[in-house]
Amino acid sequence: MRILCLLKWVPDVDQLRYDRERNILIRENARLMLNPEDATAMATALGLKRDAPDTYIEAVSMAPRGAMPHLEDLVRRGIDHVTLISDPRHAGSDTWATSRVLARYLGTRDFDCVFCGTHTLDGGTGQVPAQLAEVLGLPLMVGICALVKLISQEGQAVVDVEGETAMMRFSIALPAVLGFQYSPERKLPYIQYEDLNRDVSSRITVLGNDKLGMDESELGLKGSLTQVRRLEVDALEAKDPVLLRVDQDGIDKVYHWLEQKGFLQP
Amino acid sequence: MKRVLVYIDEDAVEDSIDLLEVGRLIYGDKGFCSYALAAGVRYGAAGSLFDYMFQVKNGALPNYDTATIARCIEFLHRIYCFDAIVVPATHCGRMIAPRAAMRLHAGLVADVTGIGTDGDEVLMVRPAFSGRMLATVVCRGSGPVMMSVRPRVFTYEEPVLKSAEIIDVDVQDMKTPGIQLIERREKSEARDIRTSEVLISGGGGVIRDFHLLERLAEALHGMVAASRKVVDMGKAPRAIQVGQSGKIVSPRLYIALGISGSAQHVAGIRDAEYIISVNTNRQAPICSMSDIVVEGDSRAFVEGLLNRIEASNTQNSGDQKR
Ligand SMILES: Cc1cc2nc3c(=O)[nH]c(=O)nc-3n(C[C@H](O)[C@H](O)[C@H](O)COP(=O)(O)OP(=O)(O)OC[C@H]3O[C@@H](n4cnc5c(N)ncnc54)[C@H](O)[C@@H]3O)c2cc1C
Ligand SMILES: Nc1ncnc2c1ncn2[C@@H]1O[C@H](COP(=O)(O)O)[C@@H](O)[C@H]1O
Repeated sequence: MRILCLLKWVPDVDQLRYDRERNILIRENARLMLNPEDATAMATALGLKRDAPDTYIEAVSMAPRGAMPHLEDLVRRGIDHVTLISDPRHAGSDTWATSRVLARYLGTRDFDCVFCGTHTLDGGTGQVPAQLAEVLGLPLMVGICALVKLISQEGQAVVDVEGETAMMRFSIALPAVLGFQYSPERKLPYIQYEDLNRDVSSRITVLGNDKLGMDESELGLKGSLTQVRRLEVDALEAKDPVLLRVDQDGIDKVYHWLEQKGFLQP
Repeated sequence: MKRVLVYIDEDAVEDSIDLLEVGRLIYGDKGFCSYALAAGVRYGAAGSLFDYMFQVKNGALPNYDTATIARCIEFLHRIYCFDAIVVPATHCGRMIAPRAAMRLHAGLVADVTGIGTDGDEVLMVRPAFSGRMLATVVCRGSGPVMMSVRPRVFTYEEPVLKSAEIIDVDVQDMKTPGIQLIERREKSEARDIRTSEVLISGGGGVIRDFHLLERLAEALHGMVAASRKVVDMGKAPRAIQVGQSGKIVSPRLYIALGISGSAQHVAGIRDAEYIISVNTNRQAPICSMSDIVVEGDSRAFVEGLLNRIEASNTQNSGDQKR
């Protein structure tokens, strides 16, 4: 079984600080974290490898070079190989451009399954897996809450999905693109102490566009079909609350407020 | 006349029909011709609201056959040259729209919650960074304007009644999708928290006293909701989880008990009219977006408020007897 895991690092949204004067979120110092759903996907893959050690897992990420230390850790956690697709010309790519670059690379690989998240916390479009599946001509399922089985000899995966109105179980022909939902039970394994400083450079490949050979007009802002005009902080951030305490006075004030707003009708 | 295609998801027929409002916001009431495509057979009220309805001749496609539906959309676009293609951001819609956009070489904006125009340009507003920011996005290039739209954000309130003309579509050589539905269990949701005007919501700070919330909900004619923390700990069903990976709610009153207000949680309550938060820490992020912050223990708050309500109820009934 060969699994490709697509991973993206995103800023930890809870650490973004809001600058009221300029009405912007300060992103610069926010810690980067592995998109939680991608971590679920990778933990699921590593779980399969634990049960079937001949499983081969390659992690693929399209990101700036600064992601390198994070990638090294993946190998220390048990991923067989990591590929970083990185080129300054990728900056500003929308999902259309991103998925075409990823598809270009994936098209050169031999695999049974692509694991990814359903959507990311920052952009959160959830479009990359579907666009990738379309370019590669593969079946796709997202919103997966459990992988029931994945057997390369049978050429199929069985997954559970939570839809709007129903829980569903699907069987999907391999190779396929599978997008996972965040699940806190499936965590990444810790790095073993003796692996903390292990040299893993031989298991990491960095690819620029010179290798992938896409036309420059297909990359970055130029190669994107959508454009962000404005990014503004949602107005909700700025209310001026009445401060009370949990004592008789506070309870009374809440009571009268509820009464006045009509929430205490019999 | 502009042409707008709306995809009707069989799992959310009414919500899909409401996307006619998006056409109206862009082109005005009389400025566009509406086309409905339902890959299944369920069109609901579409027959009396759209100008045209496509009927797939080779038989209904299940909504999870996203590859074939995307091909179907491409096929129709080649004939009708739509100006806008609007898909509900449902589980399947979110897979169909990107596949179709890829085939059409069109830019796609996901999970739209606001629409505007600037001259001929369509401005699409969507939440980003777990809803902490709003991004205004435009499509470039020559393709149709494509978007997936968050269900229930837009409602088609003053419908223009029509009688849709049915157009048969013959999609050639449909490949098997490689996906089979093995089992489907409908979720039995007693009542949907999205329908409640008042939500009493509990988080990490009331886990042990979570059962108390039910009484307060009853007293305020509302329903109980929860943060993910409570759901993950098995103290509440997933169906009542509020937030990015739960339900997006818009009650008149949201009482947040022991909820910190993480970005993912807050993403679900942007449209709440009033928020009261009870928290031992008044620096918790939820507080800056509340109308009233009550600093202190949420259990004591719930008990105190219940007593206060009961006290005045008995007083009132006493008054009536007199
Ligand atoms: C991909 C992803 C999706 C997610 N989706 C969602 C989602 O849809 N919905 C969601 O809710 N979360 C979601 N989360 C989780 C989210 O990040 C937070 O972890 C979660 O919302 C925290 O829940 P909480 O505020 O109830 O608990 P905590 O963070 O534990 O906060 C508890 C709060 O209670 C206060 N408190 C403690 N004791 C008391 C007391 N006795 N009385 C009063 N106050 C007290 C504390 O000061 C604190 O503010 C998601 C996370 C990820 C990674
Ligand atoms: N730059 C990227 N590199 C690798 N994987 C990505 C990248 N962008 C998105 N993905 C994958 O696609 C999923 C959905 O992302 P998105 O469409 O951006 O919401 C993520 O959870 C990742 O698994």
